[in-house]
Amino acid sequence: MDMKTDVEELLRDGMGRFTEGVRAPAGLAASVSQRHRRRVAVRVSAACGGVAAVAAAATLVAVGLPGGGPATTHHAGTQARTVTYLVSRVKQALANEHRVFYGRTNGTDGPSITWVYGPRSRWEELTGTSCGHALPNGDCTHQDGSERYLAQGTARVGGKLTGVYVTYYNRKWSLSPEIVPANACSTTARMEMSGVPVPTSHWSSFIDATLACGTASVTGHVWIDGQETTKITGAPVTERMQPGEAKALGEKWTRGEWTLYVNPKTFLPVRIVSATSTFGGPRASYKGVLVTDVRWLKPTAANIAKATITIPPGFRQVASPASQ
Amino acid sequence: MTNDRAVAELEEFLAERADRLLRTAVLLTGSRESGQDLLQTALERLLRHWRTLSGDPEGYLRRTLYNLAADGFRRQGRLRLKLQLLRADTRPPPDVTAQVDLRDALVRMLVQLPPRQRAVLVLRYWEQLSEAETAAVLGWPEGTVKSAASRGLRRLRELAEGWQPTELHGTKRG
Repeated sequence: MDMKTDVEELLRDGMGRFTEGVRAPAGLAASVSQRHRRRVAVRVSAACGGVAAVAAAATLVAVGLPGGGPATTHHAGTQARTVTYLVSRVKQALANEHRVFYGRTNGTDGPSITWVYGPRSRWEELTGTSCGHALPNGDCTHQDGSERYLAQGTARVGGKLTGVYVTYYNRKWSLSPEIVPANACSTTARMEMSGVPVPTSHWSSFIDATLACGTASVTGHVWIDGQETTKITGAPVTERMQPGEAKALGEKWTRGEWTLYVNPKTFLPVRIVSATSTFGGPRASYKGVLVTDVRWLKPTAANIAKATITIPPGFRQVASPASQ
Repeated sequence: MTNDRAVAELEEFLAERADRLLRTAVLLTGSRESGQDLLQTALERLLRHWRTLSGDPEGYLRRTLYNLAADGFRRQGRLRLKLQLLRADTRPPPDVTAQVDLRDALVRMLVQLPPRQRAVLVLRYWEQLSEAETAAVLGWPEGTVKSAASRGLRRLRELAEGWQPTELHGTKRG
């Protein structure tokens, strides 16, 4: 057999046979549209999560939950002692929170960076080695680079700090939808923790609240880059998808998980690991894992400025993120 | 134009093209599920640019599809692809001759190639494009296409030489 010719011919035949009977499902365009809406919604939700967590943490601090009572009631032994020890450091930790959060995330869906300072936040997705965006002629832009693809967070609009969503590839931006606060111990907040980093500076209050209500627990001590950290694991949360999402993704359930590695002295995260998975439908299950390495920087004017999005001149404002 | 109108137009656009596009996507990814995922991702980008697109939407869609595939399609881990291939629902019924079995095996072996080589081979042998046309679709120099095709075919030949029909159908040769 002449292998040189035969492989090419057999490959050609084989491709036809392999895909014989493959038919596209009806309503493909509608399904794609739903998927696009969901993707935008997830990004918007991720950006809103930080404010939700801040609001929840602030509420819990105001009503005195960080006092440690509920935690020692619900947890015994080492866990209770550790929680009490951690809670006792909240005041010191709060002093440290006047620093600028800088997180660099790597994961299944490409790299991103997060800057947070007080009410300001800037989350930017970068293209990394993936084809983050295709131009109208079909070429991949930014491939093998590390350029901005989209940003979400706060910007000065008309002199006021406002939530915005910017897509650099098509030079558009929009105001983010209204933010609805969620309790730090709620399913919503826990699900948000399974995505990109929650843009909040108030990590110690958030951690304290989740330990107190039992939605997170101390699970060990781990050395990261020569630094000892306390490992805090959130209780996994599973939700049934909305019917439209379930249909678009071919799966029924979504599950969120998160783990924080916290500096025991400052009570601030050094690393955040989050995971979202979908399963239970006809499609193969999917799990996306994000690892964010965090640095806490001095609140210099330059660092604070990085926590705010600047909408480049010439970008066109559209009605909502869904229009982008 | 409302989003609903864009969706309706896209549906119309897909009416005669969707099956062929999905077959291409299945070849690029190795399974029907991953193919649907790849095609949906490409269509999502097409939908996003539907209003502003000048020129041929099909050309844009094809280029996006192939560029995503050549890029490794970010959500597809190689291990996941291989696992999916083992239970691929597009597998045709077993044939009695070794040569026919080898056709199926060759397509399954495609998934073992790097994404760029796989994309080039699908363009060359499924779309039946020339090297110059393939280079134009991918936006690569023709020499890159030529070497990717050559390396891909060489690897397939190596895999084919070591191929045994018993691996696929559990029957003994001869």
